[in-house]
Amino acid sequence: MSKVLVVDPSLCTGCHRCEMWCSLTKYGEINPSRSNVYVIRREPAVDVPVVCMQCGLCIDVCPTGALKRDGATDAVVVDENLCTGCGTCVKVCPYGVLRVDEETDVAAKCDLCSGSPACVSHCPHGALRYEDAGKAAARRREIWAVAHAVRIR
Amino acid sequence: MWYGFAGKLLRINLTGGEYKVEELDKNELRKYMGCTGYAARLLYQEMPGGIDPLAPEAKVVLATGAVTGTLCPSGGSYEVCYKSPLTGTWNQARSGGAFGPKLKYAGFDFVVIEGKAEEPVYVYIRDGEVEIKPAKHLWGLNVEETTNALIRELDDPEISVAAIGQAGENGVLYAALINDRGRAAGRGGIGAVFGSKNLKAVVVNGRGGIKVARPKEFAEAVEKAEQWLKNYPFGSIPSLGTVGLVSLNNSLGILPAKNFQTAHFEKADQISGELLNRKYQIKRRACYGCSFACGRYTSVGSGKFATPPMEGPEYETVDMLGPICGVADLEAIIRGNYLCNVYGLDTISTGMSIAFAMECYEKGLLTDRDTEGMPLRWGDGEVMVKLVEKIAHREGIGALLAQGVKRMAEQLGPAAEEAAIHVKGLELPAHEPRSESKVLAVQYAVSPRGGCHMHPNWASTYDFGQLDCGMKEFGMPWPPTGMQDESQQKGVAYRYVALQGEISEILGACIFYSWGTEGSCITPQLYAEIVSALTGWDVTAAELMTAAERSWTLKRCFNAREGFTRKDDKLPGRFAQAIPDGPSAGARVENLDAMLDAYYEAMGWDRQTGLPAPEKLRELGLEFAVN
Repeated sequence: MSKVLVVDPSLCTGCHRCEMWCSLTKYGEINPSRSNVYVIRREPAVDVPVVCMQCGLCIDVCPTGALKRDGATDAVVVDENLCTGCGTCVKVCPYGVLRVDEETDVAAKCDLCSGSPACVSHCPHGALRYEDAGKAAARRREIWAVAHAVRIR
Repeated sequence: MWYGFAGKLLRINLTGGEYKVEELDKNELRKYMGCTGYAARLLYQEMPGGIDPLAPEAKVVLATGAVTGTLCPSGGSYEVCYKSPLTGTWNQARSGGAFGPKLKYAGFDFVVIEGKAEEPVYVYIRDGEVEIKPAKHLWGLNVEETTNALIRELDDPEISVAAIGQAGENGVLYAALINDRGRAAGRGGIGAVFGSKNLKAVVVNGRGGIKVARPKEFAEAVEKAEQWLKNYPFGSIPSLGTVGLVSLNNSLGILPAKNFQTAHFEKADQISGELLNRKYQIKRRACYGCSFACGRYTSVGSGKFATPPMEGPEYETVDMLGPICGVADLEAIIRGNYLCNVYGLDTISTGMSIAFAMECYEKGLLTDRDTEGMPLRWGDGEVMVKLVEKIAHREGIGALLAQGVKRMAEQLGPAAEEAAIHVKGLELPAHEPRSESKVLAVQYAVSPRGGCHMHPNWASTYDFGQLDCGMKEFGMPWPPTGMQDESQQKGVAYRYVALQGEISEILGACIFYSWGTEGSCITPQLYAEIVSALTGWDVTAAELMTAAERSWTLKRCFNAREGFTRKDDKLPGRFAQAIPDGPSAGARVENLDAMLDAYYEAMGWDRQTGLPAPEKLRELGLEFAVN
């Protein structure tokens, strides 16, 4: 079973280094606004990395078939030769983690760095992890349960 | 093409409401490397000596460096460079948060501000566009309210706001500029300078990135730094924050208490980092791009010191609003810290001004008549908090305290002089020169902004920390002699400690990660690798050292032009007396002059005047500073 990118917001300090590593890895520059991981820092004291769930909703709506699931990582990846930059995927993404890159004019999203996500390798506090799907599911359950404890009861 | 820098300088003249954008000159920039080095050149050459820091002609430089906003693990800084209204000296107030990185992403390495707006304004810089906008509706609001209002007004939650609060508007001489709600360009009164210009805030955001000359090599250098920093000697700081130092420093007799009357505090366990962490901490938070995350948010849920979530308090603030005033109530300290941040006050000068007033009250130099019946007794947390309010609004006794310790002492007469703990008018921070480090004693005497533990470095790394920080290969005397030794070695060592710190100051780096040894911190050599791959300049550690010396020397020249010489490089008289009690009882500074002799000589400065010799200035390419 392939691995999954998971987030533990309680460990995030809001340093934005994942965004910088992402843009350095993908474009050779440091530019958080060209990152495919998004750190939301708000007040009071909220720091949450938002990442692509690889749900694949965007695959179905892409008019040119530019979005596909990668056989090795299960990541949804953009075929830059087919993408026209129309932005339909951006409109449909429920997490807001798709964008049309301002310089390349094609859709950009997390592709899990072909199985070795730069954001995970460099997160100083372990807020981003790349884990076996079973373990990741357990972690998600726990985070979801704790976050919604009041409402569930 | 610019790598590592945005390549642009923005000039704003508030008098006419005009601005212009200038391309930076690569060769000239590289001589100073950037940030405070280049800002020193700008202010030395563009601002005549003797200018009133609160006059419209006074200039302010917001400066970033090569590593600001990059992956360099210490790279989130910007520095505000200006002539201080508190001291009349050069000042550089560093701050973290997101402001520096976002200024660079918006397209500017430097912003030079001069003039005075007719009515309150704020400056909005976004993606290379600049607007000077009315701020009448923001005048009178605190930093928190201003930030919230600007986020609504500009409809962008990602902006970074650097703003003054009421303290800056009211001209408190140690008012701070606060960015991102809780990070302070704290020392020296930049808030009052902003206030004098009718400038409420500078707001930045940008989608531009920073180009990297050799991305693969840069990634490798950063990874090396990330690996080395796993061995960082102050690794406990992130777990408790800098407040973790309270217990340690107290056990060593280096925790200043009661206006530096002593160096330990019996109730230190009531204000410890451990307690802050357990009872009041919400979470750890990092400055932009920093893997260290020494910052933390705290709050107090209920009671007379109930406080909403806010950044801090840090070690300095805990000591300054705590033991320095005899206060052992962490909730009062958290409340005081909150008020300093929202009103825009430097917590160090605030705490020291309150402590000085308390000592004067104890000695009968201030009486109930001066304080409207409020007894200024040591240890009264409520009084401390009330005084913070009064200082920010310059109300009652607050108007006296708002001028800082030096001016207060001048008004209270010679008997108060002995209790005035400052150098060149800058109140001393929470580090004890008698028992913590004798190199620190030298730094307090000579630092260009006055009594300061951080600019350009925390000098105690040498004898207290026993850390060479990569300076051995440049000839720093090693190993350090004992803590109490006041031989020439300490003076000579300070040259290396200062220049090593200055490297961070010209690169736009926070100095925290520069303390250690090869393999455990970012040494000048490792900075050279990072900066070379980033900028493509092939910088060596030796070139960084030369640029650091150029910058450090030019700041000395700036002060020389303002009339400061060796005669001003002195410590408060209290430090010649022994610490009376506690673990460090008996420690004092006896031999400052000999250490200073050695320091000036090591710098190539004249021993009598303490000023850079003309041949040294020429050697550094600073001919324009030769008189």
